[in-house]
Amino acid sequence: MENVSLFVTCLIDAFRPDAAKAAVRVLERRGCSVEFPQQQTCCGQFSFNAGYQDEAALLAKHWVEAFEETSGPIVALSGSCAGMVVHSYPDLLHKWVLRHDGTEAEAESWRSRAQSVANRVYELTQWLTSLDSSGAESGDIDHSVPFVYHLGCHMRRLLRATTEAQSVMAPQGVELIEPEEADQCCGFGGTYSMAEPVVSTALADAKWKQVGCRAQESGAWGLVGTDMGCLLHLQGRASRQHNSFPVLYLSELLDLVDEGRLSPEVVNQYGGWQDGRNSSR
Amino acid sequence: MGGGKMAGILPVDTRPWPERRDEALANQTMRTTISLTTRRLQAGQLKVFSDYPEAEEARQRAILDKRAAIKDMDHLLEQFSQAVHEHGGHVHLARTAPDAVKLVRAIAEDSKVRRVVKTKSMVTEEIELNRGLIEDGIEVLETDLGEYIIQRAGEKPSHILAPAAHKNREEVLRLFERDASQSGIEPPPDDDAKTLTQYARRRLRQEFLRADMGITGGNFLVAETGSVVLITNEGNADLVTTLPRVLVSVVGVEKIIADWQALQNIIQQPALNGVGQRLSSYTTIVSGPTGGDAAEGPQKWHVVLLDNGRTGLRGTEYEDVLSCIRCGACLNVCPVFRQVGGNAYGSVYSGPIGVVETPLLTEGTILAEMPMMACTMCHACVDACPMDIDLPAHILSLREENVEKHAGSFSTRQTYRWWARWWATPTGYQRSLRMARAGQRFYMRDGMLRTAPGLAKGWFQSRNMPPVAKETFHEWWKRTHEEGGDRHE
Repeated sequence: MENVSLFVTCLIDAFRPDAAKAAVRVLERRGCSVEFPQQQTCCGQFSFNAGYQDEAALLAKHWVEAFEETSGPIVALSGSCAGMVVHSYPDLLHKWVLRHDGTEAEAESWRSRAQSVANRVYELTQWLTSLDSSGAESGDIDHSVPFVYHLGCHMRRLLRATTEAQSVMAPQGVELIEPEEADQCCGFGGTYSMAEPVVSTALADAKWKQVGCRAQESGAWGLVGTDMGCLLHLQGRASRQHNSFPVLYLSELLDLVDEGRLSPEVVNQYGGWQDGRNSSR
Repeated sequence: MGGGKMAGILPVDTRPWPERRDEALANQTMRTTISLTTRRLQAGQLKVFSDYPEAEEARQRAILDKRAAIKDMDHLLEQFSQAVHEHGGHVHLARTAPDAVKLVRAIAEDSKVRRVVKTKSMVTEEIELNRGLIEDGIEVLETDLGEYIIQRAGEKPSHILAPAAHKNREEVLRLFERDASQSGIEPPPDDDAKTLTQYARRRLRQEFLRADMGITGGNFLVAETGSVVLITNEGNADLVTTLPRVLVSVVGVEKIIADWQALQNIIQQPALNGVGQRLSSYTTIVSGPTGGDAAEGPQKWHVVLLDNGRTGLRGTEYEDVLSCIRCGACLNVCPVFRQVGGNAYGSVYSGPIGVVETPLLTEGTILAEMPMMACTMCHACVDACPMDIDLPAHILSLREENVEKHAGSFSTRQTYRWWARWWATPTGYQRSLRMARAGQRFYMRDGMLRTAPGLAKGWFQSRNMPPVAKETFHEWWKRTHEEGGDRHE
């Protein structure tokens, strides 16, 4: 039995708690004992990417303190937020201390505190692929259910976790297919989506065009991703355009498979937000 | 930014970003063409690196050589100048763009120049050299095919490597037809790429012979031998550097490298990363005018070394920007560039390198908003950059400088400040979500958020958002996992 701490991220906590509940079930089924450190809030990436380094450092410090209380693996429900912790925290906190007249020793101490917590961080699919038995017995799968997979930029380039999601889902009889130009950003970019909504939206439209093509040729049931920021942005755009193509977080999809509930009807409920999917469970 | 050195001066499209952006997004031909071109170039880069494993080693060595050359720049430039003098050439140092233009105009006047032919050069775009020469009544002709096209169109380059990347063949044919009728020559019969190239070739051939001055940029300056190295895919640099009687090479000081050993590694990089070729088709090396060691070439050779804000970056966190070889790889992979193309950036340097370099060279006097407006922080550029320039880190630093200079609005700054303060404590965070939940019904329709005040307003221009959940995960966990809670709902 492996004890893991769940880092749910602010977006999932507030806007899609079902994705985190599904992750808890998925992890528990695979023999993990899940803890949820209740001190956690947000990783601060919104502020960091907008150039508000002091504000980001405040949130980063809090995050490090919250997770220092735990031991063992930290499972993050976002490739991007995991990337923030792993890639940016050590230097961010080091610089922050120096900027506020701290000593080099103090700066180093914060850097190494951040680093040692960051070393325990895994994005959900990274964690699942690291488990010996990454799920139920796969048995003989004669056909796979296709989904279009959106791999976020930070998961791709900061975590270099480019095949984990496919490795997790393939034995479950789900094939994740990337669209054309998959390496192109969906346009979310944290506060970029609000500061420059026009380009951000042009990118969302470009992404949907490719997702649509891929879905058509593969018969995909929906779009699945590992970053709620990208998914809210993409589904938010789809919703405004009355496009109700289903959008699922990866834990939600895996949970449906685990429960033997994967069917077009159930998946279709993830299209559109009209009936407040948030609280359906 | 930069310390006590002089700020550079760059041309700028003074229209505000939203205007430039909207114009670009409305131009479907440009968007389609830019998208096709950048995808093709990106695929070329990926393919050549997988087909040719030694390329990665050469790239690593090129980075080390280039970083070392930038550190040793003063000494190497001295060595370069010495060697050029020994071969009978002249070296001039221009602190700023206007200084450089003044120098070239004086050289042209001295030599009674009437007609100029040019190779493709971003530096001469940066200093707007053509405009200065034309004011003096001199005819200036671009001889690189892409530059020739945009010169006919009266436009600026939309891509640092492929200046006409935004133009499709049909548009090029129309430009050439107009050019042909003005010059009283036969127009190209169709818009086949080969036919169009043949037309330009035929048209340019006569001009090379008539020109009395050639102007080049320079891809590399080799300190060891005082050589300016040019790489092209069309061979036009061979003609520009040999036929006219006067030759002027305008080159940024950061193009310096130590020796021919270093050249071997770095000379492959623009082709490998820019177009996916192992080497450019033509390499032109200029080491001096005729009479010295060179058997042929111009009678006079001047090298204008341009600073224009570059040396101010040395010793700063941005020093690696000076390693840029102008291959355009970062433009090709940039999602924002693929949507808006190069001209929307408002600077001759577009894409990720442009949004970093333009404000840096000018000490933030122009286009300081671009690091915010033209980057989603996707990190594709740093992956593509052959010289490992940390563009996302620079973009973040420039955003931070903007915030520190209070360039953002007061209310935006306050939002970020209070957001962080509230969310840095678990109670503040959870309270803010409860408040949002209580207030959000005013912004909802059909179960979705349709609008919101403040920072989030931009989101709702084009997207909906689900409301804050009736029960957040925090609340659910507390209810189901704390003592007395029902574990299974």
